[in-house]
Amino acid sequence: MMRILRQQGWIAGLLVLFVLLFIAARVIQPSYGAGDFGSLVSAVLPFAFAVAAQTVVVIAGGIDLSVAAMMAVTSVTAAALMAGASEEFALLVVPFVLLMGFALGALNGILIVVTRVPDIVVTLATLFMLQGAALLILPAPGGGSADWLRSLIFGTVPLPVLPAAVTAWFPKALLLLVVLLCIVWIPLKRSRLGLSIYAIGSNELAAFRSGVPVARTKILAYAIGGLFGAMGGLSLTMSTGIGAPIPGPYLMASVAAVVLGGVVLGGGKGGLLGPIIAVFVLRLARTVLTLLAIDPNVTAIVEGTILVAVVMFGAFIAMRSRQS
Amino acid sequence: MKVLKTIGLAALGATMLAGAAAAQEYTIGVSNTVQGNGWREEMICAIKAQALASGKVKALNIAHRNTDAAGQLEDLRNLISAKVDAIVVNPADPAGIQAALAEATAAGITVVAVDQAVTEPSAYIISNNQEEYGYLGAKWLFETIGGKGNIVYMRGAAGASADSDRDKGFKRALAEFPDVKVAQEVFTGWQQDQGKQQILDYIATGVPFDGIWTSGIDNVIVDALVESQATLVPVVGADNAGFVGQLNSVEGLKGAAVTNPGSIGGAGVTLAVQILDGKKPAEQTVLVQPEIWENVTDAGKEKLKGAADPSLSPEWPVSISIPDWTTYTKDQIVACKGPGE
Repeated sequence: MMRILRQQGWIAGLLVLFVLLFIAARVIQPSYGAGDFGSLVSAVLPFAFAVAAQTVVVIAGGIDLSVAAMMAVTSVTAAALMAGASEEFALLVVPFVLLMGFALGALNGILIVVTRVPDIVVTLATLFMLQGAALLILPAPGGGSADWLRSLIFGTVPLPVLPAAVTAWFPKALLLLVVLLCIVWIPLKRSRLGLSIYAIGSNELAAFRSGVPVARTKILAYAIGGLFGAMGGLSLTMSTGIGAPIPGPYLMASVAAVVLGGVVLGGGKGGLLGPIIAVFVLRLARTVLTLLAIDPNVTAIVEGTILVAVVMFGAFIAMRSRQS
Repeated sequence: MKVLKTIGLAALGATMLAGAAAAQEYTIGVSNTVQGNGWREEMICAIKAQALASGKVKALNIAHRNTDAAGQLEDLRNLISAKVDAIVVNPADPAGIQAALAEATAAGITVVAVDQAVTEPSAYIISNNQEEYGYLGAKWLFETIGGKGNIVYMRGAAGASADSDRDKGFKRALAEFPDVKVAQEVFTGWQQDQGKQQILDYIATGVPFDGIWTSGIDNVIVDALVESQATLVPVVGADNAGFVGQLNSVEGLKGAAVTNPGSIGGAGVTLAVQILDGKKPAEQTVLVQPEIWENVTDAGKEKLKGAADPSLSPEWPVSISIPDWTTYTKDQIVACKGPGE
């Protein structure tokens, strides 16, 4: 009970932080509103999937350094396949790319389980392999995207009952994000596999002795990470309309949001909601810094400071509550 | 009554004048996605210096970090939220940021792309001609080695559009010289340390080569040749201060610098201010043509001597201004201070 309360407390804290930042944005720029919130969600989208991928793997007691490269390789594959192809063909491309992410993630897991080389080393190696593969698929940014796929994240959700002033606050990208995360995460969390992922993350040996299939669980955790990575890659292609072979800044950001979201890096503790809200907080922090027109070299320092301060504050609260 | 009316009119006129004066004060947003590279830093400093020198820019809002096209979409949309009057953008990708550029135009913001082109038709473009950059240097190199031999081809960042445009020019020159072979092709990522390591690795293989084409990671390549006492083959680079200095001073080095002014950023500010003032250019795209300065002919040597500027950081291009497009002084760009700083 206490743990659940602490968990929810952390999420509530993040939400408060988000609201404070939103108010700050409104104060600096009074016109900051629904349209800008839509921009924020578009910016959040690829980061959110990267974070989801990292979260599942971290809860299982691992770490996935290949997440940004995974996004790059799936993004260029989707863009290369869809370039010049018909709108209908994209209906095949999307499941193919998702499957590819799942398989590449599983490959990460298999390599870790079979070779017994630490996660960090294996995924570092696959990072380079996927990076090279992305450049082989598309040597330069290019390719294309089906229009219907792109239209999934542009504009707002038309809700006939509600007035336009309200629907303006429901960007399609937010709907897509929530739906995709829930489709994977909720059944997973409630299944035996989900429980096993938490179990091997908190104590692999104990889980093994309790009859948890450690190897299979670990492989599936990485595979689900790969699936989320592929969603991230697709979201990149959807927002830019192209595929870019050089991985973006998603690896570090994913680890940062996982930590900020209250997931323990050692594994076994945390959920998905916290890291996702953390992504919103980190992106909105960037918006506020841009609105303030702060020296860009200082911006990165401020972002890092926010991260450390929040995590230290959280650890302090957790320590206090344990003492009392 | 008449007096009152006159006073009223005068007051009205004064406020209108004040209003007009206030309208001369623009806020310009800047978006750039490569940080910590000499060329890009010069571009940012040129933007700041030109904004200050123009006297018409109230403030700059600079989003300057290492990111991809999706990250640039985020930065551009943040600048739209910040309600800037114009955006000067060095695109991470010509097509990938189209959505945000169209949104900016729809929000009444003037968009000027510098350095590389963009596909958004409403955006203005002022750019160095990158394909010509690749062609000029490669052609000079192939002629200098006598039309045949093996070349080390040290490109920029894999996937960057300036790199692929230069590659088009390089390949065009290569097609004109059938006896020239590319012995080794590498991507330096426009990183000094990486480029130097790559050429040292190649020298260590002992395979002879006749010339080196670089995409601007040049002075460290000459350093590597000198330090490892390898044969000083002809080297093509950019007009970076360090390389231009070497072309003037290193004994026995044949080479050529192709201009690629980072001050194009300042030109972008000038163009943006002109458009905001209502003076639209005749063409949507303005191309700045590169020049080649070689140290073989007397005329080339003369140009190199004139261009050399040891007071600049070795990774900064020496072409710190563009005639007709930038009005700042050298001190202003070196100080790297924008309005209000």
